[in-house]
Amino acid sequence: MRIFRCALIAVMVFTLSACAAGKPSGPKNTATLPATAVPSATNTIIPTEKPLLKVNLPVGYIPNVQFAPLYVGIEKGFYREAGLDVTIDYSMENDNAVLLATGELQFAILSGEQVLLGRSQGLPLVYTLAWYQQYPVGIIAKTSAGINSVADLKGKKIGLPGLFGASYIGAMALLYSGGLSDKDVTLDSIGFNQVEMLLADREDAVVVYIANEPAQLESMGEKISVLKVSDAVQMVGNGLVTNEKTVQEKPELVRAMTMATLNAIQYTIDHPDEAYEISKAYVPNLAAADQVVQKQVLLNSIELWKSGKPGFSEPKAWENMRTVMKTMGLLTSAVDVSACFTNEFITE
Amino acid sequence: MSTKKSASHQPDSIRNDNPKKGIEWLARHNGWLVLVSIIVVLAAWALIVSITQMPAFLLPSPEGVWNKFTITLQDGTLLTNALVTLYEVLIGLILGSVVAMGLGYLLAKSRLMEKLLSPYLVASQAIPVVAIAPLLVIWFGPGIFSKILICSLTVFFPVLVNTMIGFRAVPENLRDLMRSLRATRWQKLRLLEIPAALPVLFGGLRIGATLSVIGAVVGEFVGSDRGLGFLINVGRGQFDTALVFVAVFTLILMALILYGAAMLAEKRSTRWKAERH
Repeated sequence: MRIFRCALIAVMVFTLSACAAGKPSGPKNTATLPATAVPSATNTIIPTEKPLLKVNLPVGYIPNVQFAPLYVGIEKGFYREAGLDVTIDYSMENDNAVLLATGELQFAILSGEQVLLGRSQGLPLVYTLAWYQQYPVGIIAKTSAGINSVADLKGKKIGLPGLFGASYIGAMALLYSGGLSDKDVTLDSIGFNQVEMLLADREDAVVVYIANEPAQLESMGEKISVLKVSDAVQMVGNGLVTNEKTVQEKPELVRAMTMATLNAIQYTIDHPDEAYEISKAYVPNLAAADQVVQKQVLLNSIELWKSGKPGFSEPKAWENMRTVMKTMGLLTSAVDVSACFTNEFITE
Repeated sequence: MSTKKSASHQPDSIRNDNPKKGIEWLARHNGWLVLVSIIVVLAAWALIVSITQMPAFLLPSPEGVWNKFTITLQDGTLLTNALVTLYEVLIGLILGSVVAMGLGYLLAKSRLMEKLLSPYLVASQAIPVVAIAPLLVIWFGPGIFSKILICSLTVFFPVLVNTMIGFRAVPENLRDLMRSLRATRWQKLRLLEIPAALPVLFGGLRIGATLSVIGAVVGEFVGSDRGLGFLINVGRGQFDTALVFVAVFTLILMALILYGAAMLAEKRSTRWKAERH
C-alpha cells in the first residue's frame, strides 16, 4: 500500500511537471511588431532590443530542400532583423488555409489555387508574395512513351496525387492548352507515388513538381520528357499568404514578413551552395541523401523563382488560373481576382 | 375510514418499483428517445452556428449540410461514390473475415501454430494501416483492389482474435460428449464448435463491420478518384465543409447498417440461445 502511494505521488509530480513544461513559452501570434522597428534604406528592419515576434509558418509539405529560402531566412537573420522569430510547420496545406482564414495563423505558404478556392468559399486570404514566378507543375513521361507534346497525352493514363490541389489544376490547365479535357485521358489518383508508378510502367505519364521528380528519375538513368504548365499558360504558384484582418490591422508586420522572405529567396538564388548547406540542418537525412540529386532539385527550384520583378504577382496569371478553375467547375461563386493578391508590401 | 394512503405510508416494495418502471418505459421507447436526442443535437448545432455566426467553411449549418446532401443526391454524386465505398467495404469484410476465421480456427486448434504465428500477427497490427496503404497502392495499383485489401487488413485481426476465443470457449464436457458418441471431425465442427463459437464470432464480425468502413476510407484517402473518402478529400480541397459532413454522415449510416446487419445475422443464427433462456 505504501509503495502504491509513493508511485501515485510520483506520477502526479511528473504529470504536473509535464503540464508546466508544456505551456507555450511565448505569446500567441497576435502581438504587433516592436514599435522601434524602422525600415532602412536596404529594406531591412533596424534590430531592436524588444523580444522577437513569434510567427508559425506552415508550408504544406514535409521538410525539403525546396524550402531552402525559409531555412536561409532563419539562419542568416533575415527574419530576426525584421523582428520576427519564425518557426516552420509542416502540416497539411488545406488545414493551413482554414487556420489562416480564422486568424489562428497569420501567415502560410500556399499555392495560388488555394487562395482562389478559399475566397470562393468565403476565406479572407490575401497573397502578398509570389515566391514561385513559374507554376511548378508539369507532366513527365519516359521518352520511350513518345509523349512530347500535350496532344500526345490523348488516350493515355496519367497518374497524379489526387483530383485536387496544384497538381490537378496544373494538369487540367495543360490539357486545356492542348485542346484536350479529362475525358480524353485517364486520370489515376496514386497518392505521392509518382516516381514508383512511372518506373513500374503502371502509368504512361505522371503529374509532378518539375523541380523534384525529374531530377530523381534522371539520377536513376531514366530519360524523361517534361511538359511544363508554365510553357503553356502563366498561373500562380506557391507564395506567402496572409488574411485580410492582418493586412488591415498589422500592415507593418505583413511588410516585414514579406520583405524578409523575399530577401531570403534572393539570397538563396545568389548563394545556392550556402543555402544547400544551411538546409541540411532542417531537412532530416539530407546530408545522407544523394547530394547530386538534391542539389539539382534546389537548382531546378531556383529557376522557377527567378524573375525580372521578384516577388510580384501578375494579374494575368490570376486571371488565367480563375479561367481554368471555372472551366473545371471548381469555383462555385464569383471571385474578384484583384482582392486575392497585393503587391503593396513589396519594396523595390 | 379513508382508503387513501400517503406516499410515505406506501410499502417499500411499491416505492422501489417506480424507478424500475421508469427504466422499463425507457427501454420500450428507446427509438423515440434516439429521435428526440437527434433533434436536440440538430437544434443545438443550428443555435451555435446562428449565435457565433461561424463561417460555413468552419462549421456549416444543418440547413447547409442538408442542401449539399440534396444536391449531391440529385446529381448522383453521393450515390455513385457511396456504392463504390460500400462495394469495397463488403468485399473487404468478407475477404478479411473468411481468411481470419480460417486462420483463427487453425490457431485455436494448435497451440504450436499459435505460438509460431502470434508474434507476426500482433506485429502486423502494430503497423498503422495509413503507413502501409501507399505501399499497397504501389504494389497493387490505384484501382479498387488495393482499397479492398486495405479494408480486409483492417478487419482481419479483431475477427481472428474473436474466432480463436470463440472456438477455444467450447465447453470441454460437450467435446467429451461428442467424442463418446464417436462424432467425426466434420460433425464436431458443424454440430458443436461452430454453433458454440457463433456468439463470440459475431462479436468479432460486428467490430469488423465498423472497422471495414474505416479501412475503405483510409485506402481512398491515399489515392482514389471515387468513394466517400475521395469525396471527403474533394470537400477538404475545395473548403466545402458541408460536403465533408455529407460524406461523413453517409459513412456513419453505412457503418450503423452493417453493424445492425451483423446483429440481425447473429440473432437469426443463435436462436437456440434465446430459446434456451
